[in-house]
Amino acid sequence: MEWLYNFPSMDIESLRALKKGIDGGFRGFTREYGVYIENAFEPLKQFLIWSERFMLDTPWPLIILLIAVITWVASRNKRIVIGTVITLLLIGYFDMWEDTMQTISMIFVCTVLSIVVGIPIGIAMSRSDRLQSVVNPILDVMQTMPSFVYLIPVVMLLGIGKVPGLIAVVIYAIPPIIRLTNLGIRLVDKDVLEAADAFGSSSWQRLKNVQMPLALPTMMAGINQTIMMALAMVVVASMIGVRGLGQPVLQAINNQYFSLGLFNGLAIVGIAIIFDRTSQAYGKRLQKYQEVVHG
Amino acid sequence: MKKLIASSLLATGMMFIANAASAEECGDVTIAQMNWQSAEILANVDQLILTEGYGCKAELVSGDTMPTFTSMNEKGAPDVAPELWINAVREPLEAAVAEGRLHIAAESLSDGGVEGWWIPQYVADAHPEIKTIDDALMHPELFPAPEDDTKGAVYNCPSGWNCQILTANLFKAYGAEEKGFNLIDTGSAAGLDGSIAKAFSRDAGWLGYYWAPTNILGKYKMFKLDAGVKHDKTEWDRCTAVLDCADPKPNAWSKSEVYTIVTDRFKKAGGPAYDYLANRAWDNATVNSLLSWMTDNQATGEDGARYFLENHEAIWTKWVTPEVAAKVKASL
Repeated sequence: MEWLYNFPSMDIESLRALKKGIDGGFRGFTREYGVYIENAFEPLKQFLIWSERFMLDTPWPLIILLIAVITWVASRNKRIVIGTVITLLLIGYFDMWEDTMQTISMIFVCTVLSIVVGIPIGIAMSRSDRLQSVVNPILDVMQTMPSFVYLIPVVMLLGIGKVPGLIAVVIYAIPPIIRLTNLGIRLVDKDVLEAADAFGSSSWQRLKNVQMPLALPTMMAGINQTIMMALAMVVVASMIGVRGLGQPVLQAINNQYFSLGLFNGLAIVGIAIIFDRTSQAYGKRLQKYQEVVHG
Repeated sequence: MKKLIASSLLATGMMFIANAASAEECGDVTIAQMNWQSAEILANVDQLILTEGYGCKAELVSGDTMPTFTSMNEKGAPDVAPELWINAVREPLEAAVAEGRLHIAAESLSDGGVEGWWIPQYVADAHPEIKTIDDALMHPELFPAPEDDTKGAVYNCPSGWNCQILTANLFKAYGAEEKGFNLIDTGSAAGLDGSIAKAFSRDAGWLGYYWAPTNILGKYKMFKLDAGVKHDKTEWDRCTAVLDCADPKPNAWSKSEVYTIVTDRFKKAGGPAYDYLANRAWDNATVNSLLSWMTDNQATGEDGARYFLENHEAIWTKWVTPEVAAKVKASL
C-alpha cells in the first residue's frame, strides 16, 4: 500500500540525469550561440545606453521642463503638470535624481518596446482564434513564472546589465497590452463592423479606421497597466545589475536601512503616479477627441 | 508470554524514558539555513546530527546574514546560525556577546573564509605576468565592461552586502577608474554568479570580488589576485570598511572568521547539543569538495549533508561522542 502514500515518482537517478541533461544542453547552447544572440541584442543595448546617457547628461532643469511639457501635451491638465514638477523636485532634493533618471529611462524603453511588440501581437490574436488559444497560455506563463527562473539563463546568455533587465521587465510587463489590445478589438460592436463592410472598406481600413479607434480606450488601459508592471519590476531587475532606484532598495533590504528603502520606494511610487495619471489623462483625451469627430 | 509482555513493556518504557530524557536535554531548536550553499549544507548536517544524535526537534529556517543576525539579536530566534561570517556584524555581535544574549560556539570553517579579487585561471595562465590587483588593472582590455567596450570592468559584490562597500573603496584605492575600469553593480549573488558563468562559457575575461568556500570556485577555477599589501586592521576600520570613505588606501582582506552563533536560550536548554555546536568545524577543502559534488549532482543541502555523513565519517565522528555517532549512523 506504500504507493498510495508515496507518489510513485521518477527514480532519483533518471530525474537527476534529466536535469543534468537539460542544464548541459543549455550550457552547450550558450557556449555555441551566446555570442550571436548577444550581437542580435546589440542595437537594443545601444538604444538603452543612449537613452540613459540622454537622461543623465542633460541638465536637470531641462529634463524637468521636458517631462512637464510631455505631461502637458498628453494630459492638458495643470494639476498633473504641477504635481509632476513637485514630485521631480522632491526626488532631486532627496538626492535620488541620478537613480530616478536611470529608472525612468529603463521604463521608457521597456514601455516603447512592449507597445511596439505587444500591439501587433494583440491585433493578430484578435483576428485568429487559433492564435489566441496558443498565445494565451504563453502569456499566463510569462505573468506567473517567477522571474529568477528565466533571469539566470538570460544572464548566462547575455551577462548582467541593461539588456537582461530589459528582457525580464518586458516579459513581465507585456501581457496586459497584448491581452487588452486583443480584448478591445474583439469587443468592437459587430454592427459597426458590418457597416464598415457595407461601405466597402478593406480589411486594413476596417482595422485602422474602425477597430483601432474604438478599441483605443481599452488599449490605453493596457499601456497603463504595462507601465505599472514595468515599474513593479524595477527592484527585480536591479538584482541582475540594472542601475536605478532598485539598487538602493536592495541595499536597504539587505541592511535594514528603513529610511533608505522608504525614500527610494516612494520615488518609484512617485514616478508610477506621474506615468499613470499622464497616460490615463491622455487616454481620456483621445476618447473625447474621437467623440467630437464622430459626434 | 509474560516475559514477552514484560520485556516489551520494559522496552517501551525505556524508549519513553530515553525520548523524554533527550527531549528534556534539547527540545525544539531552529537552525538558520543561510541562502548560500556552504551554509546550507552545514545547517543540514547540524539538523541531521541534532535530530538523530541528540533527539532535538530541529527545524531549518531560511535566512541571510543581516536579517538572521538581527532577528537572533533582537528576538532570540532562530536559535543557531551555523555559519555566520562575523566581519559583517562584528560590532553588534560583540555587544550581544558581552550582554550574554548570544554566544560564540565553534569556528565553523577552521581555516576561515577567503575573500578577494579573482580572475579566471585561464586568464592567469595566458598572462603569467598578472599576479596582483595592480597587474590586472594594467590590462583593462582583458576584462571588458559589459556596456562599454572601451573600458575594463571590476564586478562588485551584490548590493547591500558588506563587501560592496569594501570593493568600492578598494576600487578607488587602486585608482582603477583612472586606469580605465568601471565598477559594475551585480545586484545579487545570482547576478554575480551569472556574470562568472557567462565569462567562462565564452572563455572571456572576468575580474571581480568573490569568496571561498563556494561551489562557484569549486566549479570554475579562478586565481586570487594578490592585494600587493598586507592586511592593515587600523586602516581597514578607519577607511576601507567605511561607506564613501574619502581617501581609501590599498588593503588586503584578512581571513574572514566564520563562527557558529547560538542564542542564550539554546545554550542553556541545549545541554550536550550545545557542546556539539561548540565543537564541530571543517575546512575549506572538505566544503569545496562537498559543494562541487552537490553541484555536479544537483543535490539539495539535505542530500549533501547525507552524502557527507555517509562518506566522511572520519571527520564528523570526532565532533560527537561514540554513542551519538552510533545513533546518527543507525539513522542513515
